[in-house]
Amino acid sequence: MSTYSRRKFLKVAAATGLVVACAPAASPSASPSGAAPSQAKGLTGTITVSYPDELGVKPKYVDQAAQAVQTKNSGTTVKVDLQKISDDLYYPKLLLALQSGADVPDVFHFGGDSIGELADAGYIEPLDTYVNAWADWSQYPASIKQGATYKGHVWAIPYGMDTRWLYFRRDDLQKAGLAADWMPTKLADVVTAAAAVKSKEANVQPYALYAGAAASDGARDHAFVPLVWAYGGDVVTSDGKWVGNSAAIRKALTYYQTVYTQGLSPKEILTSTKPWTAMRAKLGDGSLALLFEGGWVYGGWASKDQAGTQKNVGYILHPTENGGPSFTIGGLGTCWYITAKSKNKDLAWEFIKTWNNKDTVAKINIEDPHPVARSDSADVAEFKAQQYLVDSTKSLEKAKFLPPDPNLSKITTAIQKATGRVANGDSSPDDAAKQYSADLKQAIGADKVIEQ
Amino acid sequence: MDRGAEASAPPLRGPAYPLNVVGRNSTYVAGVMPAAALLALFFVGPALWALYSSLTNLALVGIDAANPRFVGIDNYTRLLADPDFWTVIRNSVTFVVGSAVIGQFGLGLGLALLIDHAEHRRWWLGTLAYGAVLLAWVNPTLIAGFLWVAMYDFFFGSLNHVFLSSLGASPVDWLGSFPMPAVIVANIWRGTAFTMIIFLGALKTIPPDIYEAARIDGANAWRRFWDHTLPSLRPIAALALLSITMSTFGTFIVIQTLTNGGPGINTEVIALYAFHTAFKSFSIGYGSAIAVVMLALNFAFAILYLRWSRARA
Amino acid sequence: MTTRAASRAARSTAAPRGASWVETVAAHLVFGVVVLFFLVPFLWLFTSAFDADAVAYIRLPAKPTLDNFVRIFTEHDFGRALVNSVFVAGSTMVLDVVAVSLAGYSLSRLDLRFKSWIMYAVLLLQTMPLSATMVPIYGLARALGLRNSYVGLILIHAAIELPFLIWLMKNFFDNVPRYLEEAAWLDGRSKLRALVEVVLPVARNGIGVVAGLSFLAAWAEVLMMIILIDSQDLKTVPLAFYETLRTQGGYTEVQYGLVAAMGVLYAVPVMAIFLATRRMMVRGLVASSRGL
Repeated sequence: MSTYSRRKFLKVAAATGLVVACAPAASPSASPSGAAPSQAKGLTGTITVSYPDELGVKPKYVDQAAQAVQTKNSGTTVKVDLQKISDDLYYPKLLLALQSGADVPDVFHFGGDSIGELADAGYIEPLDTYVNAWADWSQYPASIKQGATYKGHVWAIPYGMDTRWLYFRRDDLQKAGLAADWMPTKLADVVTAAAAVKSKEANVQPYALYAGAAASDGARDHAFVPLVWAYGGDVVTSDGKWVGNSAAIRKALTYYQTVYTQGLSPKEILTSTKPWTAMRAKLGDGSLALLFEGGWVYGGWASKDQAGTQKNVGYILHPTENGGPSFTIGGLGTCWYITAKSKNKDLAWEFIKTWNNKDTVAKINIEDPHPVARSDSADVAEFKAQQYLVDSTKSLEKAKFLPPDPNLSKITTAIQKATGRVANGDSSPDDAAKQYSADLKQAIGADKVIEQ
Repeated sequence: MDRGAEASAPPLRGPAYPLNVVGRNSTYVAGVMPAAALLALFFVGPALWALYSSLTNLALVGIDAANPRFVGIDNYTRLLADPDFWTVIRNSVTFVVGSAVIGQFGLGLGLALLIDHAEHRRWWLGTLAYGAVLLAWVNPTLIAGFLWVAMYDFFFGSLNHVFLSSLGASPVDWLGSFPMPAVIVANIWRGTAFTMIIFLGALKTIPPDIYEAARIDGANAWRRFWDHTLPSLRPIAALALLSITMSTFGTFIVIQTLTNGGPGINTEVIALYAFHTAFKSFSIGYGSAIAVVMLALNFAFAILYLRWSRARA
Repeated sequence: MTTRAASRAARSTAAPRGASWVETVAAHLVFGVVVLFFLVPFLWLFTSAFDADAVAYIRLPAKPTLDNFVRIFTEHDFGRALVNSVFVAGSTMVLDVVAVSLAGYSLSRLDLRFKSWIMYAVLLLQTMPLSATMVPIYGLARALGLRNSYVGLILIHAAIELPFLIWLMKNFFDNVPRYLEEAAWLDGRSKLRALVEVVLPVARNGIGVVAGLSFLAAWAEVLMMIILIDSQDLKTVPLAFYETLRTQGGYTEVQYGLVAAMGVLYAVPVMAIFLATRRMMVRGLVASSRGL
C-alpha cells in the first residue's frame, strides 16, 4: 500500500546489475575533491537504475532517459529495474543492499527526507562537483538547493517538489452559511468554519487534523509543524537544535485540544490504518469540509472528476495566528541519489543529468501534479496552462522547509505521541508539551533539544 | 516419551550390525546432515549473529550504520528500563492468554468434542463446522489480514457498514476502542483449527470401551468427560498448548495489518515491537536484543510446560 | 426401567443414546454460530471478486462480472505469479519432505543421550523472529549468490519450516515400530533402502502433513519474497498483490475487485487441497503429537 506521500517512492537498484568501470581512464571514480567529471564522449560501463513505481507515470521517462544516455554514449549500458512495490516495503530492501556494500545500485530514487540519515550512514555520494559543473543548476532556486544540502554538501537532485494546501469544500462551507469565497483571516477562523459545518450539516465531517502514530508523517507535516509555525514558533533552530517546549508548541497543542474536544476531527484518525486514505477520499467526494494535505492529492480528485473538483475544491495557504493564508510547508519530494559505493559514478551522474532536463521535469509534474524544482520548467507552455500547477509553483515561494535531519524519524515519533495524547484526551496541552520535550531528549539526546 | 526403553533392549539386528555408538549412529548422523546444513546456515548462524549484534548499536541508516560500536549490554539495560517495553510484554501476555490459551486451545478443544459428538450422531453440520474452521487456518496470511480489515474498518468495513447499520446501530470503532479484543478474535479465527484437529484425532483414538465401561458403572456424561476423556487428552493437550503458545508469541502479521500496534502501543506485542524496531526504526542492534528476549521468554514457557506435563505423566 | 437399561447396554458399544430434542437444538445452534463466525469473513472475498464496482464491505455484486479475473491475468501478469508461486511452494515442499523425512527418521532412531535436549533446542530456534535474522540472512544470500533467484528462495523457505516439521516427523517416527525396518535389515537391505521401501510407506500420513504444511508456509510467505526478489519475472503472488494496491493520481485507490479476484485464486487452491486431504492431516498430526 502506498504511504501518503508520493515523494517516498523509493528508487532501488536491483542486485543483479553490477557496475563495472571498463575503462578506468575514462571514468575515474569520482571523489568530491576530484577534477571535473569526464566528457560524455568518454563514458563507458554499466549502471543500474532501479526504482519502485506505483503511479505508473515514471517508467516512460526513466526508459527515455536510459535510452538517451545509451545512445549518446555508445558502449554504455543503463539497466533499468522497475519494482512495483511501495516504498515502505522498499526502503528496508534498499538499506539492506546498501549496508551489505555489494550489489548496490548506482542510482536510486527516494524521498528527500532521508538525505540526513543516508548521508550519515555513508551510503550516498555528495554531488557538489557534478552540480557545480552543470549549467542547469542555476535554474534551481536557492531555497531548493538549500533543502538538498546537508553538512555543506548537496546530496540529491529533486524534480517534483511537495507543497501543501488548506483544502476546503466550497459546497459544504456554503451550506453551512459561509461565503462562497471564504477566506480565513486568522487561524481561529478555520475552527469557526468547522464548527459551523458541524452544527449545520450532520453528514459532513467538519475537519481532519492528523494526530498520533496512525497518521504517520501527516501528524508532522500536515498538522503539527505548520501549526507551530502559524503560532510564530520554530520546531528547529538554525543551528540544528530541536525545540522541545515553547509558547508556540503549547498553543499548537491547545489547537489540537480545541479541535478534538469540539468533535470537529474524528478520533478514528488515531486508530485507523492509513487514515489519510479515507480523509482524502472524503474530501474528494464532499463528505469532509476542511483538510490540510499534500498538493499532489488534488491531481487524484481532478482525474476522477475534473469539473466537480475545480468547482468545489478550494485551496489556500495556511493562515497564521493573527493573519490570513501566508505560508505552507514544502518538501523536497522524491529525489535522485548516487550510491557511494557505485563503481561508475560519472555514468550515474550522466543519467541523472539527462533525466532532469527541463522538459521531462515539466511533463512528469503535469501528469502527477507537483510544483517543479526547476524554474525554467515552470515556463513550459503545457505547465503554465494549468492554473493549479502555476499556483502550486507559486506557493513554493511561501514554503518553509524542514531540514534533512538524520533523526527525523525519531522526532516524528515524538510528535506523533504528543499530538496523539492531546487528541485522545490523555493529556493537557501543557503536559503533552513537557512530555514532548522529554521524549525528544530521550530520542536524540538532551544536547540537541532546547526549550524556549 | 522417548523410545529409550526400546533402544536399550537387545536389538534384533542383522549380522553386520555394528555395536558401538558411533557405528550404530553413523547412518543416522548422515541422515540428519541435509537438514542440519540448512538449519546451521539459515538459523543457527543468523541466530548467533543476532546474539552478537544485540551487543552493538548497529543500525541500517544514520551514523550507526557507518560506525557501529560495541556497547555491551547497553541495549538490554535500555530495553528493561523503557516503560514502553513493559507495556509490550503486558500486551503480549494478554494476547497469548486471550488468543492461544482461552481462544485457540479452549475453542479448539470444545469444537473437537462437539464435532466428535456430532459425528456419532451423524449431524452434517459438524462436518461443515470442521471445514469452516479449517478454511480459516489454511488461507494465506495476506488474505486473512485483508478479510479482517474488511470486517473491522471504521469507515468501510462490513461490521459497521453492513451488520450494524442493518440493525440501526451507529458505527463502532472496533480497532480504536477495542483493539486488543479485536485482534484476539481475529487470531482465534485464524488459529483454532490446529488444536481442533489435534484434539479431534486424539479423541478418535480413545477406545470406546472406556466409555461403555463407565456408562455401565453409572457415570453420567459429565463424569465420563472429566474422569476419562480429559486424562486421555492430557499429554496431547500439553503439547498443543506449548506449540500454539510459542507460535502465537511470534505472531504479528495479523496485528500489523489490523492495528499496527495501535492505538498508541495498545496492541504492540513483542514480535511486532521487534519488527518495528528492525524495519521502521532500522535499529538492528536494539531489535536483536528484543529478539533475544523473545527467545528467552519462549524458553521459559517451554520449561514451564515440560514441568507441567512431566509432573502429570 | 431395568430392562430398558439392560437392552441399551446390550447394543453395540459405540452406539450413543438417541439425542434429546434440547440437545439437538442446542448443538445445532452452537454449530451455526461457529460456522457463521468462521465463514462470514470469506463472504467479502467472493462477493467482491465478481463485482466490477467492488467495495471494501460485503454486499451482493452491484455489477456481476467475471472481468476482474480476466484483468488480473491480462493487466497484472497474475498467471506468471501463480505459476511462480506453485513452483516455489512445490519445490519447497519436495525439499522439505526429503530433508525432514531423513532428519526425522534419523533423529528418532538416533541413540544419543542428549537427544531430547537437541530437539528442544531445535524447536526453540524456530521462535527467533525474522526481523532479527533478516540482516544476516540477506548477507548470506548475497554472499552465496542466492539473491533474486529461486534457488535461494526455496532453500530459505525450506529452512524456515524445518525445526517444527522435523520435530513433528521425529515424534511421528517414534510411534512407528522398529520391527519393520529391522526385518528389512535382516533381509539384507541397507538402512536407506529400508527407510524408503518399508518405513516411508507406513509414514504416509506424517509425510502428508509435512508436505501440506511446508507447501502452505511457502505459498503464504511474503516478507522473504519481497526482500530477496527483485526481478518481475520471478515475482510470486504476494508481490502481484502489492501491485494492485497502486496509487492512482496521488492517493490510493485500492481496486477491491482485483484484490478480491487475486485473493480467490490465491486462497482457493490451498483450501481445496487441505479439505481434500483432511483425514490424512488429522491422522498425521495426531501421530506426530504423541510424546513430548
